[in-house]
Amino acid sequence: MSLSQEREQALIKKLKDRFPSEITEARVVRRSRPEILVKPENLVEVATFLRDELGMDHANGVSGVDYNREARFEIIYHCSSLQNKETRDIVMAIKESIPRNTPKARSLISVWPGVDNFERETFEMFGITFDGHPRMEKLFLTDNWDGPPPLRKEVRFPTD
Amino acid sequence: MTVPEKPAPLAAVESSRTADSGPQTLTVSVGPQHSGSGHMRLIIELDGDIIVNAAPDPGYVHRGIEKICEVRNIIKSIPVIERPAIIDSSNLNHAYIRAIEELQGVEAPVRSQYLRCLLNEMNRIMSHLYWLSIFGVFLGHTTMFMWPLGDRELFIDLAEKLTGARITHSYIVPGGVRRDLPQGFADEAIKRIAYFEKRLVEYDKIFFNNPIFTSRAKGVGVLPRSEAIAIGATGPTLRGSGVDADLRKDEPYAAYSKLDFGIPTRKEGDSFSRAIIREEEMLESCKLIKQILKDIPAGPIRRKAPIVVPRGEAYSRVESARGECSFYMVGEGGDKPYRVRFITASFRNMSAIPVLLKGGHMADMPTAWWSVDYWPVEADR
Repeated sequence: MSLSQEREQALIKKLKDRFPSEITEARVVRRSRPEILVKPENLVEVATFLRDELGMDHANGVSGVDYNREARFEIIYHCSSLQNKETRDIVMAIKESIPRNTPKARSLISVWPGVDNFERETFEMFGITFDGHPRMEKLFLTDNWDGPPPLRKEVRFPTD
Repeated sequence: MTVPEKPAPLAAVESSRTADSGPQTLTVSVGPQHSGSGHMRLIIELDGDIIVNAAPDPGYVHRGIEKICEVRNIIKSIPVIERPAIIDSSNLNHAYIRAIEELQGVEAPVRSQYLRCLLNEMNRIMSHLYWLSIFGVFLGHTTMFMWPLGDRELFIDLAEKLTGARITHSYIVPGGVRRDLPQGFADEAIKRIAYFEKRLVEYDKIFFNNPIFTSRAKGVGVLPRSEAIAIGATGPTLRGSGVDADLRKDEPYAAYSKLDFGIPTRKEGDSFSRAIIREEEMLESCKLIKQILKDIPAGPIRRKAPIVVPRGEAYSRVESARGECSFYMVGEGGDKPYRVRFITASFRNMSAIPVLLKGGHMADMPTAWWSVDYWPVEADR
């Protein structure tokens, strides 16, 4: 593995060329870790392009972050490729920012079926609904849980 | 691939059985009492004894670790991070510390990198042995329950000598490791490994080459390669389906780039492949431990690292016993992280369970299910 960031830069260039206005920010955080910020309405097409043209064949995970002081949630999809041995170390982060008062996002289950449980967890823990997900139901929380989504920042830990 | 639908609730199934039309299926709930399911529930829809649908229902051992990490300083979280998989604790510990070090820009000394790998490989063997004993007993093979649990003590004792604790070691800390190799450790370890390698031959004779086992495991619970990739399966579950992915090779961390080892891979994607791969991995881990003890350089084992999570984001991952374990951490300059996202291999492999159970016989369910080595506590976190 080289120490340069050529592969990551090339990946970002291909994405920026194809989606000049849909991708609002793109950078290489550190080696093997490129990231892009995508407009929520274009998420599915960017992810489909990543899968079909750039070989990102699976999602490593979906993470939610509650930036309550900025009144927004960030959803991060980490994806990578198994097909090409030389680029298996690269984990691409696709970020989208959604307003905190309308917590709705589009599901990527049609692109990567593996995000199924991750999106369900993000739904129950942050209260974000994913359009296009066939089963927006609780995963880990009990069925009779009626409290607020626990990973939101306003939910204080008892010892906090 | 389509996402499996959740089987109908019991009441709905009951009413469909009395109706004149439509397929007649029966929904059974396996678990959440540990009746062979682990601390979780599998909702299985049956047509005769054929599994039409299976849906995991996790959450019975959910601890809210991601939330706990937000209110404790990074050092206090180390024992919490280990809890989801106490049999494989140092690998989770390692992934967590790597995320912190990435944010801090701290690089642990070379000797500590070797020591981290040493404990990681011991944990891999301990974890695989624990899995093998459970796998054995749920197939009705009581000897395979006793032997691996007994032999696991060989490595638990070694881990205790090295770290002071038998299973939850809290050994890896920002900047290095807590303790150096104790005197006489290498000789003792090599003696035990020589014994264990002979034991693995016995395992082959009594279990892996046993026609009663092979006939129950070969061709059972098949996970095709393309689906394994698409649903994001990882670890031995992925390697059993013909993908030679292992982060120790693909994104070498700690001292792995300096060590020589193989990645056991099988094409069949069945329960037997997933099982035999773990046995082969134990042999590779023995090889790694011997190399580490031979090659480990002299030097410091710990560098000063502040109890601070600098502003920024980090994504780290390691190859734990069950596959990829990753952390996404957001820091804002305090002693606590702003957000810790903790994704374990069992969580990812949960998606594989419906795929490999569907279409199989109910009687084959325990074989297929346990061959995944799904660890409910690790998935729930």
